[in-house]
Amino acid sequence: MTMLRMSAICKRFGARQVLDGLALSVGRGEVYGLLGPNGCGKSTAINILCNLLDADAGSVEVAGEPVSKRTQRRIGACPQEIALYKDLRAAENLDFFARLYGLSAADRQRRVDELIELFRLAPHVGTRVAQLSGGWQQRVNIAAAVVHSPDVLILDEPTSAVDVDARHELWELIDGLKQGGMTTLLTTHHLDEAERLCTRVGIMRDGRIAAEGTLPELLARVPAKAVALVETRDEPAARQRAGELGWATRTYAGKLGCLLSQQASLREIVNAFDGIDVSAVSVQPVTLEHAYLEVLHGGPPVETGTAQAREIRDLRQGAQA
Amino acid sequence: MLQQTVAIARRILLEYWRQRRGLIFWAVFPALMLLLFGLIYRNSTSMSGSFDTTPAGILIGAALFFSCLGGTVSILVAERERRTLRRLLISPLSPAAYFLGIVAAQMVVAIGQALLVFALARALGARYHGSVALGALIVALSVFAYVGLGFFFGTRFAKRAEDVNGPVAAFGVPLLVLGGTFFPTSLMPGFMIRAAQVDPVFHMNEAMKGVAGRGEGCEQIAGDLAFLAIFAAASLALGVVSYRRMLAEEKRS
Repeated sequence: MTMLRMSAICKRFGARQVLDGLALSVGRGEVYGLLGPNGCGKSTAINILCNLLDADAGSVEVAGEPVSKRTQRRIGACPQEIALYKDLRAAENLDFFARLYGLSAADRQRRVDELIELFRLAPHVGTRVAQLSGGWQQRVNIAAAVVHSPDVLILDEPTSAVDVDARHELWELIDGLKQGGMTTLLTTHHLDEAERLCTRVGIMRDGRIAAEGTLPELLARVPAKAVALVETRDEPAARQRAGELGWATRTYAGKLGCLLSQQASLREIVNAFDGIDVSAVSVQPVTLEHAYLEVLHGGPPVETGTAQAREIRDLRQGAQA
Repeated sequence: MLQQTVAIARRILLEYWRQRRGLIFWAVFPALMLLLFGLIYRNSTSMSGSFDTTPAGILIGAALFFSCLGGTVSILVAERERRTLRRLLISPLSPAAYFLGIVAAQMVVAIGQALLVFALARALGARYHGSVALGALIVALSVFAYVGLGFFFGTRFAKRAEDVNGPVAAFGVPLLVLGGTFFPTSLMPGFMIRAAQVDPVFHMNEAMKGVAGRGEGCEQIAGDLAFLAIFAAASLALGVVSYRRMLAEEKRS
């Protein structure tokens, strides 16, 4: 069953078209990662889903029902910032939000106890939120979003302000929710997080989904089996050499990225740039980050190289052997 | 809606209790003002006579004004600053429940302040002359009015914590002065007394001074009570409109 559906959503703020035909759907139990650069319209899409904003055009449904005040009960939204009452204890915050959703005293107690266990809050349940670390505050922040047992959870950059350890712990918790069948829409700038948590990912560009799919489907958009990162002071020469070898090139964080159509060893890559001032080389598998950059910035057409280039490569490989 | 109202009130009171410093100031300030004004007016009357008439104005002007009006502005600004407002907006919380929750919390604080002020006045030899129930009704209507004004100022003029004192001082204190809180309105020229008729603080003071200081009943303060009742109802409407306004602003942010 489709739990979230946005069809042809358009939203304009003044002269700026923020959403331009956004369409996505999330099935029950899926964790859908909504990725995109700042300003691409992710927050606007979330506000529309939460019934905080009206779309100019298009339709939005939550569990088959058009978005309204009523569907707000079916959604749990965890904002990026810690939106809690910091003088209250963790359990008091959960109890407060449960009351707003009209849970009876018995249900409140049961649900708060469940969440304390699920989010492993027991050691800090009596601590004021202000005295908790960022990671623990974020746990309570997420727990508060699911206190009313929503059908759909929206997590807006849940790990953006926590350290690495806390991030891994939060991933485990989100995994736990996923195992429990929670349908989740997750926005993040951490692509490893999306890789780790999401069953499907949509990459937004210019107010719409530019690419969507499972991780393997998105990785398939990168025309490579692996990426060699080359640090060199003579990039034009290195790029030319890569072209001669039939490797398409990209720039990743200021480094030359060579898209390898098949796995290659470090030695093969180093030898390939023989005679060029190369200071560091690394080979890494294709990741979501490469696919993301491919979708956002596209890439030049894959440089397949000339027959002559392939000949040179074969000669080099022969020499290495 | 009742559950939501209670939840809001309970949460605010719990926060006040945890912070405590604010509660202490809300107790110390009216106590000191009562002593000071009681001693000032003692020059023109007896000790007990002075403290008979002073507590009403002190309760309205030095106690409820800061806790209910200033406190409401602070609550709204804090919701916005710690981003809990957004969480409230996406919950099914009704605007009326939010307003009434704040009223209920401030009502508890107001009752505490009233007990403190009149107990201190009694210790200094004063007497409460009128009906306690009528006094409680005036306090309740005053809390409504102040919270309504707090909603108005808080949503229109105070976006950040630094902004809280500005509107309270700029708009609130003149209302206190025009309302004859700290000195008799008989000192004011006629046109100011006429202007004061639309100031809710004037009617709070007149009603409370009448009941507590002169032992007046419903009939004598009917006009003031009617004004306060209408203003309380308008405050609820104002609160709901202001909450919706906050919602619209938050949507745009």
